[in-house]
Amino acid sequence: MTSLQDPILVYGAGLAGHLATASLANGLGKSRPVVQICPPDHTEADAFYGGSTAPTAYNFLLGLGLSEPTLLLKSATSFSLGTQFRRWLNSRSWMQCHHSPLSTPEGIPMRHVLARLGLPLEPLLISAQVALAGRFAHPPTDPNSILSRAEYGYQFSAQEWTALLNQHLRASPARRIETAIATIEASDGVIRAITLETGETLNPCLVVDASGPSREAVLAAGGVYSSSRRVTAHAQITPTTQLGPACRIVDATATGWTASTFLQGAEHRLTVGSPQDGAPGAGFEIAPGALNAAWVGNCVAIGQACAVIEPLTPAPMMMLQRDIERLLELIPTSAGMDVERAEFNRRYREDVAHLNLFQSPILSADNAPDTAYWRDIGAQEDDPRLERKLAQFGHRGILVNYDLEPFNEEDWTILHLGQGRTPRIYDRQADQISEQDARRTLGQIKAMIDQVVPRMPPHHLYMTKLKQYLEKQNHG
Amino acid sequence: MRRFSRICILGGGSAGWMTAAAISAKFHKNEAEITLIESEQIGTVGVGEATLPHIRFFNQALGIDEATFMKSTQATFKLGIEFCDWGKLGDHYIHPFGDYGLPIENLDFHQFWLRLQQAGESRRISDYSYPILAAEDGRFQTPGQDLNQIGSNFGYAYQFDSSLYAKFLRGFSENKGVRRVEGRVTDVQLDADTGHVSTLTLEDGSQITADLFIDCSGFRGVLIEQTLQTGYDDWSEWLPCNRAVAIPCESRGELSPYTRATARTAGWQWRIPLQHRTGNGHVYCSEFISDDEATEQLLSTLEGPALADPNQLYFKTGRRKMFWNRNVVSVGLSAGFLEPLESTSIHLIQEGITALIELFPVTEISDLDVDEYNRRMGLNFERVRDFLLLHYVATQRDDSEMWRHFRAMTLPTSLQDKLSAWLSRGYIPAYEFGVFLPPSWVAVMLGQNLFPKQYDPRIDRFELSDIQSRLEAIRRQTEHAVQSTPKQADFLKRYGAASETPPHVAGSL
Repeated sequence: MTSLQDPILVYGAGLAGHLATASLANGLGKSRPVVQICPPDHTEADAFYGGSTAPTAYNFLLGLGLSEPTLLLKSATSFSLGTQFRRWLNSRSWMQCHHSPLSTPEGIPMRHVLARLGLPLEPLLISAQVALAGRFAHPPTDPNSILSRAEYGYQFSAQEWTALLNQHLRASPARRIETAIATIEASDGVIRAITLETGETLNPCLVVDASGPSREAVLAAGGVYSSSRRVTAHAQITPTTQLGPACRIVDATATGWTASTFLQGAEHRLTVGSPQDGAPGAGFEIAPGALNAAWVGNCVAIGQACAVIEPLTPAPMMMLQRDIERLLELIPTSAGMDVERAEFNRRYREDVAHLNLFQSPILSADNAPDTAYWRDIGAQEDDPRLERKLAQFGHRGILVNYDLEPFNEEDWTILHLGQGRTPRIYDRQADQISEQDARRTLGQIKAMIDQVVPRMPPHHLYMTKLKQYLEKQNHG
Repeated sequence: MRRFSRICILGGGSAGWMTAAAISAKFHKNEAEITLIESEQIGTVGVGEATLPHIRFFNQALGIDEATFMKSTQATFKLGIEFCDWGKLGDHYIHPFGDYGLPIENLDFHQFWLRLQQAGESRRISDYSYPILAAEDGRFQTPGQDLNQIGSNFGYAYQFDSSLYAKFLRGFSENKGVRRVEGRVTDVQLDADTGHVSTLTLEDGSQITADLFIDCSGFRGVLIEQTLQTGYDDWSEWLPCNRAVAIPCESRGELSPYTRATARTAGWQWRIPLQHRTGNGHVYCSEFISDDEATEQLLSTLEGPALADPNQLYFKTGRRKMFWNRNVVSVGLSAGFLEPLESTSIHLIQEGITALIELFPVTEISDLDVDEYNRRMGLNFERVRDFLLLHYVATQRDDSEMWRHFRAMTLPTSLQDKLSAWLSRGYIPAYEFGVFLPPSWVAVMLGQNLFPKQYDPRIDRFELSDIQSRLEAIRRQTEHAVQSTPKQADFLKRYGAASETPPHVAGSL
């Protein structure tokens, strides 16, 4: 039996470990002791978080005391309006942008109007057009401005954010020990003691395993990780003199895919493939998959310790953020932790399933290259919930939603239409407005976008000016 | 290919006319030819007089003026439901349409209240709820624009005469081109190839042929059950009440902006104050009380003289196995029945109509549409069922056979998990799709004395004195907002929603 008076122990010094420690220290204050064990360099796989976030990261980081000015001035962070899938499977390319709810002409969902008129969505998405034009400006709050419909996240370097958080944590009430774990003593699925290489032994109330794909603590507690394939990942950093676009660019290759992330002063390129097709360079191997239960006994795995999701979209960072939020909502109130464990695992399984629902159709194609990576993808089992989503949209543009999905209706609409999934029939409500009126309404949206985008500054120029302004304001 | 345009609605109560109004408003007259068949001889159940805030969006979507609608239906505003004698005899609480207090640093208000309560704080959580305090004092005004401000962070619904609502919507629908046919169905013809309903024959020999039939025929389910034999999932195992007796009476006292549900020995009794009368009814389980006793309990507790004879109703709690079967969609009581403890009858009609409009057939009925409709409605019904059952099992009562029955019951896992999480730490496992979100669960659990052992540990980062002063500030703000709210009767007049006819008096009808 553990005691609630014992410390909550976070194991890991990468992005997940630091974010979890900062969140716990912030959320619990001095009411519960938090100890972070920081093993030496353990963070190579953090590149697999993908370097981009969803718009929700803004509030999440702000809640930890990391404001946007701090991110921009003290790291190479840049803005992200989404992910451009360029030269993707089936010769598709689309901008998977972040967007607030789409316009509804006469109350009719945009997708039905588009289906009726046979028009594409992308020219009507302000965030897509801004990103594709290489421009950026903060969305204003004035709802009359078309730019107010854009949403943004960040492009970032996991290594830099880790360093920033490391500095930030120095002022937190969490105790931090820079050493590795020597032994983990577990019995009956409960971690009783952790002995450090310094010789110190800690008796934790709760262990938060943020050790990445090694997931040492949760495996010691009896966790079971399921994965049917391995991939290789190679991260490469190329210095640049000018900041690239406010979006990631992802390309399919014969043996996998590559993603370019554009930061201040550098382009980060991640190349993902299968070890069987030959390593793309010096990199690391990682097994996409998930723990059957992320909370085992008194050990909770977060980030890559519980689930490895390919960073095609901001999904891995969305998962990490949700892991931490879920944990904070369920800090144990009793040594048994039965309620917390059951609820955490229920929500965890839903989140993993929902994120995979979104990424699966991106990776699937009838004519994918006949290489190990794409064969492995093709061998994945289909989720009936995804089949329902695809069938309903293909039938008549219905968006099937499940409880509390991380990707919202706009994300799914952009994905479906971006992948060329056109509804066979459109909703007859779309006939309630005349074709002329519908074309006029959509034409007005497009005209506004065409007018606004060329007037916006390039991403690099906006960043330079913004930083000058922030420095003058003594931010950061 | 020919468009799917001929729609026949069978039944003209709230369900039938709400469906007719919504479809006729959504589709042009030349896109949908709508016929509604109803018989004045059959009458309607008409007990769904209290609603949930969602009804406002339904009316708004139809472009209905609120004051005109309220005046026409003798409606009053509703801020919640008062539950009496549910946790234990003598208890009462209001389940409000809105959260308690305001979140503090993104943490739920009720967690702070639990912390104070465990420290011996004696104030009711209701003292931090604007809609509760306003309801208790008979006050009402529509919320302001900023929904994060105390005094505006609440929802409201209506209490109305459902037969007048049906009449109101009939006028609306007929203006939109809906054809009303008076008559009773004597024969239903099925298409020999598809098994779809093709034609209804009325007692005068006339026939109505349609592509899609919407069965709003009430408990009988003339098309969905009597004709297609769709089947019914009986939920009496969890919600055993199977009868009701309803009776209107003269209004007495101040016009209260809330519905009351009082627990009885073998069921519960509703009181719904309208402008011209008060609606009353007793829902009960025939296994635990006779019809005569149930009627006597009801009559003996009326606040004023009865305005009509008692109306006896029989039902079985549950849902149709398929809400949409072949070319028949069941809406209202033909789709299923869940006792109106939380005013969900009209809401479930609204959910059915909304889903039907989104999945409306274009040229043919697709299995995909049917499947999705049934999935959505199944989820709605199940989630309402769990919430209703909560009221019966979150209790300390054991003073009658019915209450002892509930105390011995094995609960659905979905409900048991919620109760465990709540009792352990005041946590509500959330879902997105379903009418009752966490604040409603919190209201019922606390209202019925289910106090968690612990609270969210994050609250401990605040000093107790800090929590006390923050909550006291919220309470004072709430109290102040209520004091500046007019009495409901005054607001109705000012709003142009007051009835122009005098209240009903016994013997004058």
